[in-house]
Amino acid sequence: MRFEEYKTGEVLVAKVLDGRIAADVAPRLKAHLAEYVSQGNHAIVLDLGAVTFIDSSGLGALVSSLKSIGKEGDLVISSAQGAVASMFKLTRMDKVFRMYATTDEAVAALSVTPVP
Amino acid sequence: MKAMILAAGKGTRGRPITHVVPKPMIPLLGKPVMESIIEQLRDSGFDEIVVNTSHLASVIQDYFRDGSHFGVQIAYSFEGQIVDGELQGEALGSAGGMKKIQDFSGFFDGTFVVLCGDGLADVDFREAVRFHRERGAMATIILRDVPRAEVFRYGVVATDASGKITQFQEKPPVEQAVSTKINTGIYIFEPSVFDHIPSGRLFDIGGELFPALVKLGAPLYGIELPFQWVDIGSIADYWEASRLAVSGVIRGYQLPGHEVTPGVHVGINVSWNRDRTKVRGPVLIGGSCAIGDGATIEGPSVIGAGCVIEPGALVRECILADYTRVSSVARLERLLVFGSQCILPTGEHFGIAEAGVGWVVADARARPEFAPEQEELLQLAREIAD
Repeated sequence: MRFEEYKTGEVLVAKVLDGRIAADVAPRLKAHLAEYVSQGNHAIVLDLGAVTFIDSSGLGALVSSLKSIGKEGDLVISSAQGAVASMFKLTRMDKVFRMYATTDEAVAALSVTPVP
Repeated sequence: MKAMILAAGKGTRGRPITHVVPKPMIPLLGKPVMESIIEQLRDSGFDEIVVNTSHLASVIQDYFRDGSHFGVQIAYSFEGQIVDGELQGEALGSAGGMKKIQDFSGFFDGTFVVLCGDGLADVDFREAVRFHRERGAMATIILRDVPRAEVFRYGVVATDASGKITQFQEKPPVEQAVSTKINTGIYIFEPSVFDHIPSGRLFDIGGELFPALVKLGAPLYGIELPFQWVDIGSIADYWEASRLAVSGVIRGYQLPGHEVTPGVHVGINVSWNRDRTKVRGPVLIGGSCAIGDGATIEGPSVIGAGCVIEPGALVRECILADYTRVSSVARLERLLVFGSQCILPTGEHFGIAEAGVGWVVADARARPEFAPEQEELLQLAREIAD
C-alpha cells in the first residue's frame, strides 16, 4: 500500500495513493495506521481523495483502527468523494468518523488546541 | 405509415444499466422508454414499425413481440449472428441499419419516420410530415435549440430561411459550432434517401449520411418544433428523466398506481402502515413492496416493484430497481440501485457484492449472507441508527 505522509504541526496527514481499498490491502492499512500511533501520532488525517473504491473490509479496517486509537487520539477522514463518500454514507459510517470535505479543513479541526 | 426505431446501440453511456438491459428498455417509472415511443408513434398514425436490434436484442423482442398488444405491427431487423450458440451483435450504424431493411424487403415505400429508442419527445409528427412534404424534402431533421455549452454533444446544423440545411457538423467543439440548433435523432425520410446509403457496411446518419447530403445540395431540411425532449442516453440523463417523471412534469407521462397523498403514488398489494412511515413526495412505490415501520422515503424517489424497505431505513432521492432490499441500517441518498450495482448520478458505480454491502442493500429475494467483518459493521451501524 502506498501513502504520502507529511506533518503540519501536531497533525499527521496520510494520503492513500492506491485507488482501491479492498480485502487485499485492508490489513496493511490497519497495520499502517497502528504504526502511526505507535510512533506517537495522535492526530491523524486520512486523505481518501485518490481512492475510487472502498469495500466493507476497508471500512472495517478503518473502524477497528479508530477503536484502537480510542481516546488517545483522533483519526479523521478527508476528501472522500464519489463512490467512496457514498459507501460511508450508505453504511452510516459517516456518523462513526468525523469526515471533512478537504484535508485543510480536517487539519484545521485537529489543530485546535483542546480546552484543558 | 411506417417507422423505424433505432435500438441496436451498445448503450455505452448508459453503463452499467445497459449491461443488463438495452437502452430502449431502460424503465422510466417501470415502463420501458421504447414502449412510450411506440404508443406515441401509434397515436400519430404509424402502425408498421421495424426495430433494428443487436445488443441484448432478445430483451426487446421478448417484450414487444409482434406489437399486437401495443396496437401496432412490429418486426425486427437483427444485426449480428449466432456464434457457438451465442447471439453476437454486430451493429451496422443507424443508416446501415435502415439500408439493411430496405435491401431485405423494400419495406420503406413512402414517407417514413426514423427515431432513436432512447429518448422521449412529444413531437407533432403530423406537422413535421406536412413540413417535409411541402418542402419536397428527401430528409427532414427535427431540430432543437440547446445552450451553446452543450452543442459538442450533438450534430449541429445551419439552415437558410426556408429551413434547408446548409451546414451539418457532427459534435463540433463549442467555439466552432455554426449554431445552437441540434439534431434530436428524429428524422423523416423519403425512400430516395437509400440512393445515398451504401449496402452491407457500417454507416451513420449523423456522421456520414447528412454531411454527404449537404455536400450534394440534396433537399435536407430541418424543422424546429416546440416539444418536450427527455433524453435517457446516459446515466445522468436517466437520473434526471426519472426525477422529472416521478415529479409529474413530463407532459402526458402518466404516473402508475394511486395517489394516496399529494405526490405519493402507490401500486397495489403494498404492505405498509402509512401512519408509521414518513413518505414525502414525489415518490412512486411499486406494487408488492413492503415498507417497514419507521422507514423514511423522501422524493424525488422511485421504488420499484417488490422492494423491501426495512423498518427504520432512510431512502432519500433514490431510484431503486424492482426487488431491492434496503436494510434497516441503510441510509441511501442520491443513488440508483440497478442490476446489483449502486450507481451515482454521475454514472460512477460499484457492485454490491464487490463492495461487500449486501447487508445494507441487496436483492429482496436473496437470503442475506455476511462475512464476519460485515457483521461487525452492521452491529455498529445498528447502534448509530438507534
